Amino acid sequence: MNVKAEKLQVKYGNHSALKDVSFELNGNKIYGLLGRNGAGKTSLLSILASFREPTSGTITINGETPFENPNIMQQVAFLYNKDYKDESDNVIDMLKDVQRYRPNFDMDYATQLVERFNLDKKKPIKQFSKGMQSSLNVVIGLASRAPLTILDEVYLGMDAPSREIFYKELLAEQEKHPRMIILSTHLVSEMDYLFDEVILINEGSILLQEEVDSLLSKGATITGDVELVNEFVRSMKQINVRQLGNTKSVTIYGELSEREREAAFDKGLEIAPVSLHDLFVHLTQGGIEG
Amino acid sequence: MKQTANFPKVATDMFMVQLIWTAGFLGIMLIVNIVKLIIAGNQGNLAEGFFNSLFVAGGIYMFVLGILSIYFLPHFVGNGVTRKDYFKGTVLASIGISIVIPIITMIITVLEKFILNIVGLSYKEQTINNVDLDGNIIGDIIQSAIISPYVDPQNNWILAIVVLSLNIFVNYLIGWLIGSSFYRFDVAVSIGFIFIGLNIKMLKDTLLRISLELPIPGWYSMLDFLPFSIAILGIVVLILLSIWIIRFMTKRVAIKM
Repeated sequence: MNVKAEKLQVKYGNHSALKDVSFELNGNKIYGLLGRNGAGKTSLLSILASFREPTSGTITINGETPFENPNIMQQVAFLYNKDYKDESDNVIDMLKDVQRYRPNFDMDYATQLVERFNLDKKKPIKQFSKGMQSSLNVVIGLASRAPLTILDEVYLGMDAPSREIFYKELLAEQEKHPRMIILSTHLVSEMDYLFDEVILINEGSILLQEEVDSLLSKGATITGDVELVNEFVRSMKQINVRQLGNTKSVTIYGELSEREREAAFDKGLEIAPVSLHDLFVHLTQGGIEG
Repeated sequence: MKQTANFPKVATDMFMVQLIWTAGFLGIMLIVNIVKLIIAGNQGNLAEGFFNSLFVAGGIYMFVLGILSIYFLPHFVGNGVTRKDYFKGTVLASIGISIVIPIITMIITVLEKFILNIVGLSYKEQTINNVDLDGNIIGDIIQSAIISPYVDPQNNWILAIVVLSLNIFVNYLIGWLIGSSFYRFDVAVSIGFIFIGLNIKMLKDTLLRISLELPIPGWYSMLDFLPFSIAILGIVVLILLSIWIIRFMTKRVAIKM
């Protein structure tokens, strides 16, 4: 699976939702698409799913334009925070319907998931709570086994145990039936371990696309005595500061050299990896300038 | 990996869903009609047949069904079906429903006639075609919108089926056209499409009246010089035009989320 976007733009009237977005995704990885509310995540994903056309620019999936392309559209499943208020079908009828149109759909697996999420099989979907409707979207997304599966903030309203089931099933599925999965989220701290690669989008532009490990090596958290920490980080870019009594913890953005690490060790400072959450907040907000 | 075309599946699914709704609609119409017949029998009045009751109500029903059909588009695109397959499938399903309704109606009518003969109740004379336009513009528009050219099944049952099919099919298309315009455009533009829909209906009725040699009232009565063949051709063109406008509006439409 290959997805390539070149200079994508989406405009709603005067408002630019996407500005010259270019990127390339390759292989059966789990991509995390991170961005704040209104950053353009859903606009981007709805183009991948052929829900809309870009205002300008091109997008290709396996070398072909997806819009109105039956071969591509069948391979792309897009699940989002959908409103089921008019859906009088029950879960099983709905899954049967999806099965008709999704060539790789696995009904046995779908039924297993329905049971894991504890969804009522007979109740009309419109009577489901928000979290149960979200679980249903997860069931459809995972069981469709579409080569490109897009899950756009599908966890909304799900309680913590259900989200745990979702994350576990996602990883298990990816091992058994690898595919390209795009997870869009702003629950960064909870989902960071799921991602192979991260795409950060802010105000309609791509800020970065990087493997999680190399991204996390771009920052560090230094903890220790206030004065020692202050001296150590003086010339560094600080993105988060916490202090408790005489102990200070500063998160910096920028890779530490081997010499700096040794110096910190000598001074008795503790160096911990930065969290994706801190990086996300810093990069999309500007952070606290040191 | 090549996939087979999806539109036959869409056509089957759309047909089945709408057929289930139609069964409910026809069932209610049948109950209403039986009650009316019992009342007419008790009071010694003439009977309003099932065919005639359905002739008006079926048109309104198909118009509503047409409006609703656009709301299947997000469902299908969400399942990886192209807008084109949705469009083709929906056209086929609507033709199917437009044929099935008059046939079921005719079967019920034959049974009804058989029973009425036994109990000795006769039908009212139908005056549906004597449209009475009195210059009250709102009244005229409503009448034009609801009443279509009518053929009495007792005179020519095949023609009665064909004309009813045609009437309800065009009503479905008009509903779909208006529904699509509301999906695609804002309210102001869509109101324009209601006006277009009304004119398609009146033009079709006029052309059909010419073909059936019925009296021709209304806005398009100046067309009564047209020969039969041109009138028939006009109806075909009008149907194709409506279908083309629907396709044009939905071809690249963004799915609402």
